[in-house]
Amino acid sequence: MLLADFGTTYCKLLDTHSVDAPRLMATNTIDRKTMKVDIATGHNGKRYAKQYVNELTALARGGLTLIRKKTFTLLDCGSRDIKYVTYNDGKIKDMGWNAECGASMGFTIELLEKYYNLDFSKMPIPKSAFSITCGVLGMSNIFDAVVNGENEVEAVAKFVKGIALNAYDFAKRPRELYLSGGLCGNPLFVGSLPCPVISLGRFVLLEGLQATLQSSDCL
Amino acid sequence: MVTQKKHRIGIVGVPPLSIIKHIASPDHEIFDLDEPQGRIDIETASPLLPRVYCGILRTVIANSLAIQPELIYIDTGSGKCDCAVHTATVLDDILPNCRILRTRNNDSTGFGIPLCKARMKLTDKMAAITATVQNPHPYLDNIAPCTPTAGFWGVPPRDFSLLEFFPDTTHIYGWTRCMENKTPDNLDLEMHYNPDIPTVFFAQSFCAKTALASHLASRHPYALYLDCDVTAGSSAKAKIQAFLELSEK
Repeated sequence: MLLADFGTTYCKLLDTHSVDAPRLMATNTIDRKTMKVDIATGHNGKRYAKQYVNELTALARGGLTLIRKKTFTLLDCGSRDIKYVTYNDGKIKDMGWNAECGASMGFTIELLEKYYNLDFSKMPIPKSAFSITCGVLGMSNIFDAVVNGENEVEAVAKFVKGIALNAYDFAKRPRELYLSGGLCGNPLFVGSLPCPVISLGRFVLLEGLQATLQSSDCL
Repeated sequence: MVTQKKHRIGIVGVPPLSIIKHIASPDHEIFDLDEPQGRIDIETASPLLPRVYCGILRTVIANSLAIQPELIYIDTGSGKCDCAVHTATVLDDILPNCRILRTRNNDSTGFGIPLCKARMKLTDKMAAITATVQNPHPYLDNIAPCTPTAGFWGVPPRDFSLLEFFPDTTHIYGWTRCMENKTPDNLDLEMHYNPDIPTVFFAQSFCAKTALASHLASRHPYALYLDCDVTAGSSAKAKIQAFLELSEK
């Protein structure tokens, strides 16, 4: 079976009959006419799938498969939105999905990386951060800082830290945070989160789809 | 045959029972201005109320402009909200041919909450409860309560499509319960919830009740806090769907 997480910027694909690792492809390279999968999640998933699974459900099921704890908070930072689930003693306690105000964080970070030709693995975590509620609105902080003589790299680092703190607040400031999504691969972002972070990578939603496949829902 | 024209009366919030008894007559056509009425465009309210304002009160303004009632009873007490106080001022200004009568509903005699506990599609249940506002008579039928598997706490949402994912065995809590009971100013009843069932705590965006909804959700062991503006977007619906799915035992 072909499972897919159709994100805004990247699409993640897993063939359950193959031993290969999941594939990652840019969403804008998908052939819209021929792409068909069996189970999908993500913003664009309904268009291509026989069965669609809600993104929060996929995230929660993926988290339950990978984390193996009864109490945890899992935050997914994607290109367009952030979402989290909190389990307490094995039961869903809280969840959130910030798709509009507070969104476009991952996408904005990637844009800045390319525009300023940055290497996030070599950028130190700044002491302070910009106060940011959304990726798009937060950009003006960078431009203002640069106009006022601040180094571009430092300004972007403060922006990224501001985004990390905002995401942490959104997840209700857990003592320990499991992180999924593309920003797991950004050391500046991960290091800016003010609590211990366990990165699970960008294929957690695919794990959730596999769990769905194994559950009675699909039998 | 000469047919007498009915008097058009608007209500905002839950008017006191004495007023409902007075206006519930064949001579009157009553409009619940809190609810969307037909295809009236909410944006007609935008020049008169900020767009970042309670969607229900923006609906009140849009409805009032389109329907042009002769008389509006608007609850400006704590059984409604502070925003209604200011909306009444706006209505006074924009509808010179309409009498705006401010009421304070302190009724304390409970009519019961059988619909809130009934087994019924949640959208139908919510519609039935909002319809009770115009009925001054006590329940005659015995409506059996069901065992709840989920809870919805809050006011009747402006967009009922928000309720589509809930099971028929959802119990209603919060101000909607006060509404059915005809005691809209009963904070104890409004704050009541069942900690044993997964519950969505809902408030309209930009409504003061967002604070209470969020606070109660933080105290409830299995809760989802949710606020929505004029229409329920896909992420709001997805949150409810996922929350209910993942809460299933």
